[in-house]
Amino acid sequence: MVRLTAASSQSLRPYLQAVRSSLTAALCLSNFASQTAERHNVPEVEARTSPEVLLTPLTIARNENERVLIEPSINSIRISIKIKQADEIEHILVHKFTRFLTQRAESFFILRRKPIKGYDISFLITNFHTEEMLKHKLVDFIIQFMEEVDKEISEMKLFLNARARFVAESFLTPFD
Amino acid sequence: MASPEVHHLFHNPIADHSFSADRKTLAVARDTTVELYAKVGSAFKLKDELKGHDKTVTSVDIAPNSGRIVSCSQDRNALVWEPSPTGYKPTLVLLRINRAATFVRWSPSETKFAVGSGDRLIAICYFEEENDWWVSKHLKKPIRSTITTVAWHPNSVLLAAGSTDAHARVFSSFIKGVDARPEPGVWGERLPFGTVCGEYLNNSAGWVHSVAFSPSGDALAYAAHDSSITVVYPNGPDQPPKAIVSINTQLLPFMSLIWNGEAEIIAAGYDCEAFRFKGGVDGWQLSGTLEAKGRPGLGDSREESALNMFRQMDLRGKAKDDTQLKTVHQNTITTLRPYESSGASVKKFSSTGVDGRVVIWNT
Amino acid sequence: MSIIQQHTAASLSDAWRTIDIDALQEDSSVNFDVSTLHPPLPEVSEAEVRQINAQVRQLLRGGDAEGALRGSLEMPVYNGSDLAKEAHLQTVIEVLQSIKASDMTPMLQRIYGTPGGSECLDVLMKYLFKGMASTTSSGGSAPRTPTRMTPQQTGFSQVGSRPGGSSESTGAAMSVLLSWHEKVVEVGGLGSIGRVMTDWRKV
Repeated sequence: MVRLTAASSQSLRPYLQAVRSSLTAALCLSNFASQTAERHNVPEVEARTSPEVLLTPLTIARNENERVLIEPSINSIRISIKIKQADEIEHILVHKFTRFLTQRAESFFILRRKPIKGYDISFLITNFHTEEMLKHKLVDFIIQFMEEVDKEISEMKLFLNARARFVAESFLTPFD
Repeated sequence: MASPEVHHLFHNPIADHSFSADRKTLAVARDTTVELYAKVGSAFKLKDELKGHDKTVTSVDIAPNSGRIVSCSQDRNALVWEPSPTGYKPTLVLLRINRAATFVRWSPSETKFAVGSGDRLIAICYFEEENDWWVSKHLKKPIRSTITTVAWHPNSVLLAAGSTDAHARVFSSFIKGVDARPEPGVWGERLPFGTVCGEYLNNSAGWVHSVAFSPSGDALAYAAHDSSITVVYPNGPDQPPKAIVSINTQLLPFMSLIWNGEAEIIAAGYDCEAFRFKGGVDGWQLSGTLEAKGRPGLGDSREESALNMFRQMDLRGKAKDDTQLKTVHQNTITTLRPYESSGASVKKFSSTGVDGRVVIWNT
Repeated sequence: MSIIQQHTAASLSDAWRTIDIDALQEDSSVNFDVSTLHPPLPEVSEAEVRQINAQVRQLLRGGDAEGALRGSLEMPVYNGSDLAKEAHLQTVIEVLQSIKASDMTPMLQRIYGTPGGSECLDVLMKYLFKGMASTTSSGGSAPRTPTRMTPQQTGFSQVGSRPGGSSESTGAAMSVLLSWHEKVVEVGGLGSIGRVMTDWRKV
């Protein structure tokens, strides 16, 4: 297990680097009013009413359990992350964790309330975000999220395992 | 080279800007208003606000001779602001479009202006004396998507337009009674209203963000979202162009470009800095940035411990932690405009961007 | 039957609510013809792809990795069957995997320096993204999502519930693509990623 972690942290850098460069390239947004609805300005990547303003989606994968999907458009991009889930506990933990975050989506500005199918968490960045916030800081935020979430999940799992062991031991002691 | 003159107006995006001919008045499009700034000493002070639109103002242009200001907005309207002793008086233009108006420019003759729109057409507007109105004629075919940008040919008849359907096109906007019949040129001989004189598409497509005719009007340059600059040299009517030179750069896409003489183009966009391109019919290349490297004050970054630096590099795959860009503009540059020219060459140009800064550069 | 009765019968079902009426209007923006966004592309048949791939493999066996890479990138399959596209992707990946990490950057720089080299790098970038996208979806047949895993007696165990050994091999394949991705960005800049997104000639 230890050996495995070491190997995976080695390949984490190129993975994050690829996400970073692709995000930077995709975050070239401009103000674009809807062509379908009068006097509206909607994220085209969500509306999907004009095929020509949607760009080719990019997938960056580290292995089949960890990947990022970037769906760019003229005034918004959607980033979806599949978080590593090696077993059922991690699956539950990831589910609870992302649920906790998405329920507080308004505090995170760019967090989407519902992830895209096949992914655990999605972000929606529009031109209004890139106008207000520094673009490279937005990219940093996503990257930081990606690296912290793995750590967070493993820590929670360790904690859970320790607690389970403790509970098991305290229940089993009388029968010794 | 003198360092650029930087004016930080506010913390909102500037969609477009325009200087008056005497360079004392600056109009910027900020949110739903057009703000007029007057030069006081070395700074720009807010002088007037033109309120008339109720959605984001997308573009503004001051006619150099008449001083009229035209503005357009995502609320589907364009307004002509007539200077009068009691301030600017707005007149609504009959655009007859029902999507956002995205871009507006006066023709060099100042008798017409072109409004690009999300209704997949361009409205060519001119003044009708008998009704005392600005009316419009539509250029529709073969536009298939939102017009993002337009640029006038020096003869005020030909109009270049870029669109999100990845095509740059050249149209004739000849209006009887307004325009003098144009001389036959490389773009065509007979030019009735609506003639498509050229239609260009890059191999790797990409929405066209900016178009510009060279000072002579015999070449067209456009910048697209595939980070490229393309220069087209037409070869007379109904013939394939003499040359189409396309440069795919390593940079992020360009939002705006201007010509400086016939052999130089200056372009800027998502990299937040301006770049210079040089060339001619035989080929074009990127010759460098206009940003002066190593300016004092911005170059010195905080000292960091080696451990922290390597940790950052290892964990996040990045070399430096910074909240300020090294460029003058701190966000995307959206508009470049010639500021001071002599003949065909531009001596100074101005740039504005999403960061609310107006910068005047020396070429 | 009166008109009113007819009408209510029709509106009783909700099906009409889900009709996308924009799509029915011919000049609606939904019906944009995306084939106008790229120049006409010649169709490449599977036989041709096989032929190119055989040539590329021969170059690779002969030790000319750079020639093989160039050859495979100069003939991208833009307009062909899925099988042809898949076959070409496999060839490109094979070539990429056979090149040593230390040779990547100099090779890319040489290719970038030649005429048409920038285009080659853009094509390579397209294949890198396609490679990363396809490996994740082709593994779909194997039960890789933990939801479909049979619950274990000891839900807390870590070993044994790893989604099979296939993960390791795809991880290795991905890391090759990721390191190529990094090198291509170094040479071709962010513009090459941008062009993968804007280009409608898809591999």
